[in-house]
Amino acid sequence: MNAIQRTNLGQAWLVLLLALLFGMSLAGVQAALGPKIEENKLKETLEKVPVVILGQQAADELNAKGETLVITPNTVAVEKGPVTKYYTLYKADFKDGTLAGWVVKTKGQGYADKIELLVGMDADAAKVTGLFILDQKETPGLGNKIVEDAWRAQYSNKETTTPFKVVKLATGGVNEIDAISGATISSKAVTKFVNQAVSDLKPRVAQFKDSDGKGVQ
Amino acid sequence: MSKISEIEGAGHEGPTLNVAPSPHVSDITFTTKRMMTDVLIALVPLVAMSVFVFRGYAVKQLVVCVVACLASEALFVSMRGRKITLTDCSAAVTGIILALSLPGTAPWYVGALASFVAMGIGKIIFGGLGMNIFNPAMVGRAFVMIAFASLMGAGAYENPAGVVDAISQATPLNAFKGSGVATSVFDLFFGFTNGSIGETSALAALIGGIFLCVRRTASWEIPVGVLSCVAVLAGLADLSAGAGGYVLLHHLFGGALLFGAFFIATDPVTSPLTPRGKFIFGAGVGALVMIIRLFSGYPEGVMFAILLMNAVTPLINRWTIPHPMGDA
Amino acid sequence: MADQPTATERFLQGILPENPVYRQLLGLCPTLAVTNGMQPAITMACSVAFVLICANVVISLLRNLLKPHLRIVIFTLTIATFVTIADRVLAAYLYQMSKTLGPYIPLIIVNCLIICRCEVCASKQSPFIAASDALGQSLGFGLALVSIAAVRELLGTGGLFGYQLLPAAWPDWVIMVLPPGAFITLGLLLGLVNWYSARKSGGSI
Repeated sequence: MNAIQRTNLGQAWLVLLLALLFGMSLAGVQAALGPKIEENKLKETLEKVPVVILGQQAADELNAKGETLVITPNTVAVEKGPVTKYYTLYKADFKDGTLAGWVVKTKGQGYADKIELLVGMDADAAKVTGLFILDQKETPGLGNKIVEDAWRAQYSNKETTTPFKVVKLATGGVNEIDAISGATISSKAVTKFVNQAVSDLKPRVAQFKDSDGKGVQ
Repeated sequence: MSKISEIEGAGHEGPTLNVAPSPHVSDITFTTKRMMTDVLIALVPLVAMSVFVFRGYAVKQLVVCVVACLASEALFVSMRGRKITLTDCSAAVTGIILALSLPGTAPWYVGALASFVAMGIGKIIFGGLGMNIFNPAMVGRAFVMIAFASLMGAGAYENPAGVVDAISQATPLNAFKGSGVATSVFDLFFGFTNGSIGETSALAALIGGIFLCVRRTASWEIPVGVLSCVAVLAGLADLSAGAGGYVLLHHLFGGALLFGAFFIATDPVTSPLTPRGKFIFGAGVGALVMIIRLFSGYPEGVMFAILLMNAVTPLINRWTIPHPMGDA
Repeated sequence: MADQPTATERFLQGILPENPVYRQLLGLCPTLAVTNGMQPAITMACSVAFVLICANVVISLLRNLLKPHLRIVIFTLTIATFVTIADRVLAAYLYQMSKTLGPYIPLIIVNCLIICRCEVCASKQSPFIAASDALGQSLGFGLALVSIAAVRELLGTGGLFGYQLLPAAWPDWVIMVLPPGAFITLGLLLGLVNWYSARKSGGSI
């Protein structure tokens, strides 16, 4: 008996047994909840796609009619010198098959932490239709004003021909974005991501349209 | 331990024995009250200039902060069951320095809360006058700076509707950093610019500061350390920008640098003991000020620089206090 | 082992006299990190309670099989399992909250409060006593989190649970919902608790 107890297995059998049992129960939990968690992640983005493209009002009307947009996610690789940047580009179609618009998911470094956002564009990528901040940890009271409707609305329905520019006091110039007072860095960061996403993906959108959204990398 | 408590228990009230390296102070008139009175006298040009430039805004901040500091000191000291010691004027000095470091536009509760925090968390919680690690006025200011970022940030200084000329412009440092607009050195030197109410006039800070150094109330090593370090770093920035001396003077006379170097960094409680330590402390403040001004999101960094150097004061002390012969 | 603790005593001791945060200074990472609002604080308190109670009961059941040099491994294994379950359940049913709490739910694994209770109580006592000990400690932990979060959210946003309570003119003390506010609030509340208990026991500060 003593001889058995002194072997490694005799010492560690409980650890091994528990590891096995716990591992199995965790596998069970993951199998049961995994799909739901994935769905949560997806829903978070997809729910916002119609709002970003059509605006809150039109999206609500569409919802009230019981219609939804058909959303197809694509991964787009944009080569920039030595690095390749990957975007998730959502193509949104109306039920009858006409193209509603495009939504790009992008992220980058803000003032405090990463800012993750959705940029909506119309069918020809000629206009930015809207902006939504998915995730941010900017300073409460200053930088986190980037989530406010009034501030984000500055990006809606603006031509994509000129890049957005952050200014202290908007003078009514083309694509001028009023900086949030005391949070110039956050304002500039968001604007930079929007400009980048638009300039990177505008040419790709045309390709996608030609090939009907299939098979283009 | 037991020995100390015995002495305390017996109600022994001898003079406090300050252990400090030589030269020892032999002048017994060199009391807290005398020092604080000196500081109050030295602050007169700054207060006068702030009232001249900012009128009602300055008066409001000064009254709010001094009253709130005195009231908080009385409240916290009595909570500790000690005798109220407002007569040593240290609370009044903290109040005035705090007020001078605030923007004129800040609402009354900013000054009141800053005073409350300065006295409570900055001073009394450590055991009162002489025990605090950080400069109380700067603790109070840092608290409201983060609490009310939108009222204390560089942008908040501007109030186009203000009834005083100065307050309708951007602060010189913010204008320079944000949009490259340069304020004339003449205005910076005399103080006809926007800013915290007491920081605008380089001349007033110099007059008061030199008085403090001559009276030996403030140690000259600290402002010299701050200014020489800033001069070197700003000189480098000047050379790299090819500005022909303008950037250098702008950094020296602009913002709270002179006010901070002469009045805030020289607080004897939170700065090192030895002359060498004081110079190192000053140089550290200067270097941090320039790092924050040149490379951070803030246009000005005197407050953070002084607080950070306060934190390393014990280390500087340990490093610079000479050891007696034979001691390891 | 002359005086065996009773279940009631363990339960009551955990709430105030042996409060994990205010008296034992355990589990300070979540205490500082997630008390910027009532909702994350309560979610965190519930997750810790779930993990603590489950881990304590399991360890107590295994207590006669534990070998001294392998017990910490078994504690960690057990705690990690329940933390992962809590994390997955939150991600599935409270997705937004799970995103807000971010890494702090997985970090419950290294919350010393739990391993401390496993070591001190569960590995020596019967499951019933271990469970009531865990319940008392969880309540004490929850109380501490909620008290800190209440001060921070009220001063920092003028309301609780997102509902405005103070007058609209209240200037939000943004610092209170930022990290410095956590340290200041914890320090002041700790001081208050010490002052109160010193007064109760007749001492002075």
